[in-house]
Amino acid sequence: MSKLKKSLLPITTFVPIDIKRLFRDKVAIFFVFVFPLIFLLIFGSIFSGDSNVSFRVALINQSDSESATQLEQLMKDSEVFQVDEEATNREEAEEKISRGQLDGIVTLPADFGDIAEGDEYPNGQIEVVYNQANETAGQTLGSILDSILLEVNKQYVDTSVPFTVETQTTTKEGSTSFDYTFSGILGFTLLSLGIFGPTTVFPRLKQAGVLRRYKVTPLKVWQFFVASVLSNIFVGLLALVLMVIAALVVFDLNMRGNYLTLATIVLIGTVLMYGIGLAIGGWAKNENQAAPISQLVVLPMMFLSGVFFPVFVMPEILQQITKFIPLTPIIDSIRLVITEDASLFDLGNEFAVMMGWMVIIYIIAFRLFRWE
Amino acid sequence: MSEPIISVKDLSKSYGGVEVVKSISFDVQKGEIFGILGPNGAGKTTTLEMIETMRPMDNGQITLAGIDVAAHPEEVKEVIGVQPQTPNFEEKTKLTEQLDFLASCYGEKVDARELLKRVQLEGKADSYPEQLSGGQKQRFSITTALVHGPKVLFLDEPTTGLDPQARRNMWELIQQVRQRKITIVMTTHYMEEAELLCDRVAIMDEGKIIALDSPQKLIKNLIKSGFKKKQQVEQANLEDVFIDLTGKALRD
Repeated sequence: MSKLKKSLLPITTFVPIDIKRLFRDKVAIFFVFVFPLIFLLIFGSIFSGDSNVSFRVALINQSDSESATQLEQLMKDSEVFQVDEEATNREEAEEKISRGQLDGIVTLPADFGDIAEGDEYPNGQIEVVYNQANETAGQTLGSILDSILLEVNKQYVDTSVPFTVETQTTTKEGSTSFDYTFSGILGFTLLSLGIFGPTTVFPRLKQAGVLRRYKVTPLKVWQFFVASVLSNIFVGLLALVLMVIAALVVFDLNMRGNYLTLATIVLIGTVLMYGIGLAIGGWAKNENQAAPISQLVVLPMMFLSGVFFPVFVMPEILQQITKFIPLTPIIDSIRLVITEDASLFDLGNEFAVMMGWMVIIYIIAFRLFRWE
Repeated sequence: MSEPIISVKDLSKSYGGVEVVKSISFDVQKGEIFGILGPNGAGKTTTLEMIETMRPMDNGQITLAGIDVAAHPEEVKEVIGVQPQTPNFEEKTKLTEQLDFLASCYGEKVDARELLKRVQLEGKADSYPEQLSGGQKQRFSITTALVHGPKVLFLDEPTTGLDPQARRNMWELIQQVRQRKITIVMTTHYMEEAELLCDRVAIMDEGKIIALDSPQKLIKNLIKSGFKKKQQVEQANLEDVFIDLTGKALRD
């Protein structure tokens, strides 16, 4: 056998065995394939609801006039209001406001819609009560009711208004909030697969002396690294393909970009995240060392990379730091591909950051690795 | 005798200021079974691990098959096979896959089933190591250590924790390995094992070799010095009774 073929033999032998090993392990299958899907379903349903603003209100209708009934129907039909059917009296409604379960109480007093003596048409005043802590919601609620009343009033008095507003949707097909969230969910999966896997497996293998057994053979660290990375790429890509399929089927993901571009990013992201896990798991002698270090790395990355919060809500300093966290360019480029059909060329900056980290992380991992 | 296959000179090792191996020297001849005996903490395993390239030495020189161990550990790894004290393997991995991978580490391809047949494990080829009994695991471990045809095999307490049948089977296996002209260096706590298997033994205590010769010679020397056993030895012992009652066949 040639020297090159000989040094690649451990790699080509290890990868299929390692993959088969994973599929024989039910716990591993759960964490690698099932858990990310559950995570996707939960977070996907939280963020996939339409992004229209709506108000949760209690409607207390004390009047039996025709106008009051008409208004009640209008509010119930409106998409802007979610009328709480359970809170029908004032005390109950106020309690719900104080617990933050309602935005306001709309009361139609008993004389609402009565025709006062000498008048031609009915009149009345709606009372709106809102939580002091949520003044914007209260005021918006007032204006919306105003505009509803404007329509109602037109039945009685024909008014022509000089200045009006006309709203239109953009002609470009918009991305749903799920499309944005999905990149974060993929990023989180890359992070957890890449880091939690090796940081639990390697220390366990070391404690059992399994890696020590390899140390007495001529197997080199680089061969072991390449083999582990390749097997992880296979498993990681498979897990993420399942997630993309689930996103397309369950949440109607609007994928605008190229799947090959997406696969390239996911591949780089997998290798990058796995490198972090390899560095920690390869260094740690046991799980007690590995667990706190991996938490220390995972938590800030999770919160600062835009997995759960959009980066623009963070203070300026954090936003600057965020750009240089390895997970951020991964999530950003996934999002840009999905929502804006970005090409690899458009993602030059993100790639530069990812590649920079790739070199740093693998040098560290290589230096810190120990077999026992 | 011919050129020794292993030559150890003035070998020392300290851990945290405590000298666990104190300037020991010995040679191992080609094809022999060399035993290192001694109580726990005598420095047996540390000595073995320095020869196996697993631990750096503080002082001294080791030559194995003509290779300077400190200078060329990678070359040494190619010609030795190592059985650790408690062999462990990756779970959910068939025995054949384990052998294929370990052979590939030496750049070799093997017929894993044939190798397993030699140690009566052909029926377990598709089992996982965690499904093996203690004796089966030891036999499998020796097979993995021999997968690349090494010149020297190191066995660290190969029969500790095994039942009498499995131990006898292991002794047979070790003798078969010797017949393949593979030199064996082993540690053990069991004197009858050393007496039966080893051509020569080094007895270590507190980091030093305090005796080195063939078991027969060592016994003769002791008797010459006027030593007498306090009790008349029975012609059989309890182990003989056990084996007589339960048979020699492997039970795993």
